[in-house]
Amino acid sequence: MNNRDSIYCVELKNVVKRFKTITAVDHVSINVEQGKVFSLLGPSGCGKTTTLRLIAGLEFLDEGDVLIDGIVVNDIPPYKRECSTVFQNLALFPHMTMEDNIAYGLERRKVPKPEINKRVGDMLDLMGLIGMEKRRPSQLSGGQQQRVALARSLILRPKILLLDEPLSSLDRKLRKEMQIELKRIQQEVGITFLYVTHDQKVALSISDIIAVMRDGKLEQVGSPKAIYEAPRTMFVAAFMGAINIFPGKVSAGGNGKINIKTESGMTISAIESKDIHNEEISGISVHPELIEVSPRDKDAKGDNNFIGKIREIIYQGDFVEMIISLDRSDKLITAHLMRSSLYQEDQFSPGEEVLVHWDLRSSNITK
Amino acid sequence: MKSSGRSTITLTVLTVLVYMIMWAPAIVLIVFSFSSNKYGISWENFTTRWYFELLSNVGVRKALARSVFIALVTVVIATVTGTLTAYGLYKFKFRGKGTLRTVILLPIIIPYIVTAGSLLVYFTRVIHIPLGYITVIIAHVSFSIPLSVFVVLGRMQRINWTLEEASMDLGANKLTTWRKITIPLLLPAIIASAVLIFPWSFNDFTVTYFTAGVGITTLPIYVFSQIRFGTIGPVINTIGTIFILLPVIGLLLMNFFQKKEML
Repeated sequence: MNNRDSIYCVELKNVVKRFKTITAVDHVSINVEQGKVFSLLGPSGCGKTTTLRLIAGLEFLDEGDVLIDGIVVNDIPPYKRECSTVFQNLALFPHMTMEDNIAYGLERRKVPKPEINKRVGDMLDLMGLIGMEKRRPSQLSGGQQQRVALARSLILRPKILLLDEPLSSLDRKLRKEMQIELKRIQQEVGITFLYVTHDQKVALSISDIIAVMRDGKLEQVGSPKAIYEAPRTMFVAAFMGAINIFPGKVSAGGNGKINIKTESGMTISAIESKDIHNEEISGISVHPELIEVSPRDKDAKGDNNFIGKIREIIYQGDFVEMIISLDRSDKLITAHLMRSSLYQEDQFSPGEEVLVHWDLRSSNITK
Repeated sequence: MKSSGRSTITLTVLTVLVYMIMWAPAIVLIVFSFSSNKYGISWENFTTRWYFELLSNVGVRKALARSVFIALVTVVIATVTGTLTAYGLYKFKFRGKGTLRTVILLPIIIPYIVTAGSLLVYFTRVIHIPLGYITVIIAHVSFSIPLSVFVVLGRMQRINWTLEEASMDLGANKLTTWRKITIPLLLPAIIASAVLIFPWSFNDFTVTYFTAGVGITTLPIYVFSQIRFGTIGPVINTIGTIFILLPVIGLLLMNFFQKKEML
């Protein structure tokens, strides 16, 4: 099907890629909408970079189809595909000036010299790189190199920009700045982004859609809010920081509320899920920032109240991390208490007995 | 850390001694090449006469031209073949790859005499081609390719190969990528190997002697033949000086290019 007005910039249909005995990409299907930021998120080795390379044409697939703007591009070499990649190590040509690096793609397309000069000039302006065009990459700072890599790809006005962990080599402050820059440029130019990262914070802040990958397969695809607040599998929950994981099965239910009996012997209440059936439930996950810690003798209200003993208190600056062991089980719960909440409660100390509570809605059901 | 005065002096003295022992013969040779003594064995007056005599000697000039010609052709063929070989060895997997790698090393491991002798037998008895420029060049190239392969291969280990992918991603096909990205990045190594191969080929005696046959008198062979008749005298010093300075310049150039490639 050659539908040029596809609403999807990129589609992957049941794509498989194997390297000898390893299946790096295992029947992955995704649809990337025009003009949106789509992130592939996952740990090292999950197949996200391979997937990106399959779209770029730097790897050829074994099964399935890759479509760009509705056209199947499986056999089309990378230099004929209308996408551009920003590599993790930037891959700036060290023997060329900044100008020549940025102009490279346009020269390959035989764009006339005057037009190249104009477009390069505009791009340098957009990226705040005016005055440095004769410099070699080795003479630029990390942030500047990043922008050159971006400029080099953007100048070609590709249908989609593929970014492979472009910020991982930058220090924290620079990373934050570049993140905002990237988002700004993306929205200004209106270009589709496919962003590959292992950093959930980056993915959460810039994406419209996140696809979490594991061992070559898709675990969950959804908005950042959905991925973070309602992870559907234990893996996604743990990866997004919901480190309180309680494997268990449904023991009772009614009126939209269900009880889960965990392996450690606890009974946790949650609100029935619309997309996960009771029989499919494998457990509950709770984010540490949703756990309330109060003095032991406080009145227990609502569901999910447990008594526990503080094992460890770890100071993290903006919040305090508390590791609490629950009575009647060996289960350890991690709670993050923001500084503001600590003003209302007494100071806690290790060994103290406390009341642990979380709201019914904070219990997240996983498959 | 400041080393004690005593050990610095000892070190300096030792260093000077070692260098003197290593370089004394060469220095003597170079100095005496400018001496007006006919036999080049003692110092009389300064003169560059022998150099002019050398250059006016038709036999010498022809031999020099032949040596340069053979060396240049060898350099071109060996660097091109060597670079392509190195690229193939580094990037591709194919059957017999390990064998090829070992086989390439052979000309360097086996003693010159053995290789030269066997090449002679091969040319005359097996494939029956007349000895001449072709056989000499074939012989020189077979000794030079390993050099080129390993110098280029070494450089390839330190190149970021994503650069080739980036080039293709930006719209350059394989050939253009090769031309605009790969070769420029490999150039320091290619030049380094050329600069090593040229003096080697120029100075070679053994292999050339075996495979040149009649009429292809390169400079080293000319010098050798003249020594036996004792006619050459101080010209030995002159040619010796050239033979010493050529590789030194070559090494200095190679060093310069290696430094440039800190990319």
